[in-house]
Amino acid sequence: MPATGALASHESLAATRSVRGRKIADMAATVVLWVMASSIIVMLAAFIGYMIYLGGSAISIPFLFGTPKETTAGGGIGPEIYNSFYILFLTLAFTVPIALAAGVYLQEYARPGLFRSIVQFSAESLATIPSIVMGLFGLLVFVYLFKWKFTALGGALTLTLLNLPALMRVTQEALASVPDTLREASMGLGGTKWQTISRVVLPSAIGRLTTGVVLVAGRIFGETAALIFTAGLSVPFNNPYDLDPMRPAETLAVHLWYTHSESIVPDVDRIGNGSALVLLVMVLVFNLVARLLGRRLTRHFTGRDA
Amino acid sequence: MIALEARRSRRAEQFALGVLRLAAASVILAMAALLGYLAYEGTKTFYVDKFPLAQFLFSPTFSVDQNHPGAAVFIVGTLAVTTFAIVIGGPFGIAVGVFLSEIAPARMNQILKPAIEVMVGIPSVVYGWLGLTLLVPLIRTHTSSPSGFGLAAAGVVLAIMILPTVITLSEDAFRSLPPALKEGSLALGATRWQTIVRVLLPSASSGLAVALILGIARAVGETLAIQMVIGNATQFPSGLFSPTAALTTEIVTDMPGATEGSQLEHALFSMALLLLVIAMVLIVCVRFALRKRA
Repeated sequence: MPATGALASHESLAATRSVRGRKIADMAATVVLWVMASSIIVMLAAFIGYMIYLGGSAISIPFLFGTPKETTAGGGIGPEIYNSFYILFLTLAFTVPIALAAGVYLQEYARPGLFRSIVQFSAESLATIPSIVMGLFGLLVFVYLFKWKFTALGGALTLTLLNLPALMRVTQEALASVPDTLREASMGLGGTKWQTISRVVLPSAIGRLTTGVVLVAGRIFGETAALIFTAGLSVPFNNPYDLDPMRPAETLAVHLWYTHSESIVPDVDRIGNGSALVLLVMVLVFNLVARLLGRRLTRHFTGRDA
Repeated sequence: MIALEARRSRRAEQFALGVLRLAAASVILAMAALLGYLAYEGTKTFYVDKFPLAQFLFSPTFSVDQNHPGAAVFIVGTLAVTTFAIVIGGPFGIAVGVFLSEIAPARMNQILKPAIEVMVGIPSVVYGWLGLTLLVPLIRTHTSSPSGFGLAAAGVVLAIMILPTVITLSEDAFRSLPPALKEGSLALGATRWQTIVRVLLPSASSGLAVALILGIARAVGETLAIQMVIGNATQFPSGLFSPTAALTTEIVTDMPGATEGSQLEHALFSMALLLLVIAMVLIVCVRFALRKRA
């Protein structure tokens, strides 16, 4: 009948129109999402470019290796760079073994139960605690209770608490990525559980572990809030490159904050720009090293590409 | 000989397990010590200085000279910057998360993922320095704000800083959905965008809630980046460009001048305790959201 035919064609016209509408909406949304995601890359590139523009002229040999000045212009950041690496090294020396052990326990041994849930809840809580709160805890324990004053060791131990959960998660995820067939093969050959873990599982996971550790190391390198009240705002005057862990150790990130907010040197901008650029470059270096080292180790120990 | 070997390896086995268990237990110990010690130190405002808890939470007057350490200004400051950050950074982060999971070709993923990792690695002070040298002058010249420091500067810096958290976790939330959901919707003739909005977003809601909550946790605890741009004025924010202060920034600003055992120091530890309580509440929220999903 003609009437229904007209109706049908009318309906199909409406349907076509709405299909077109939906397709346009879909395309528009896709474009918007592409723009949003690209804007992150553009923003990051702009940040890096801007920091190079600001800090490039500040970078020089006397700046990178010189000692900071209290009241006059021309101070360097040598001891601060040294302290950043020193505290990073101390922190990793404490954090890596504990996190590795705890991560292996949780992933390979622990059965679901009260102990495991409490460990996991503690780790999650520890991971959420703001670093300034951790810094105040470090102040209470290492400065007030132990009477150490501001020390590199106190700072490193505070950072250990702060980064333990992240490294535990790194360990757990690395272990989880090792296929169970490897474990079964090792056990099937008569290996004990510990032999399996130490000789088969950990070597297979080493690439991912390394990537994770180096990425966390990058974060430790730039940590500030937890260090202000534990490692302090100064470097030893007569021996800035002291190896003694029981002395104040202002790191580069702390120095950037301190110069801006407390110090009275006239060239605050130059020191700030230069320090910020050095910190940014270090982040990029840590990221690059994490990737390359992780890939190489995975290939070396497993013969596979990560 | 073989028996001896076996016994030795059994002993090594037990020793290894003991050490591993000890390491795991140390995490509990650390958390318990932190909780106990900060609870003890942070409540001294109330039982040593006899300042009532209600006044601490709701009084806008923060004056140690007048024996009146009310923290309402800082609590409101923290709420304001966090809200600002999550209102901008939350939807943006979820959008990029859905892009990474549903739309981005492999090559885009390979560029965006490392970029996000670099963003995570940039130290807080460098974000603060960028805010100080880039954002604050921009706000100063383009708005009526005389200094440029204030809520908006801090909020924008925070919004950028929480992006990696929100993006990564919301991408995970979308990726963990069963593929049948998406396939079913597409097979019924829905476009990709309709599938995302009507099927994937609602199904991933608890995972997205986790992404937002952890973004909030990051924003609440962030200290130096916003301390450098918020203006550090003990006053309620009267507008977007008004200088104010947050709990974390107040601790950093006043702690260096606080002597051990003073009322000021007690008040700052009370604020740290409050931050700790907020973090724990957020963690419980995360657990709740995850349980709902399971």
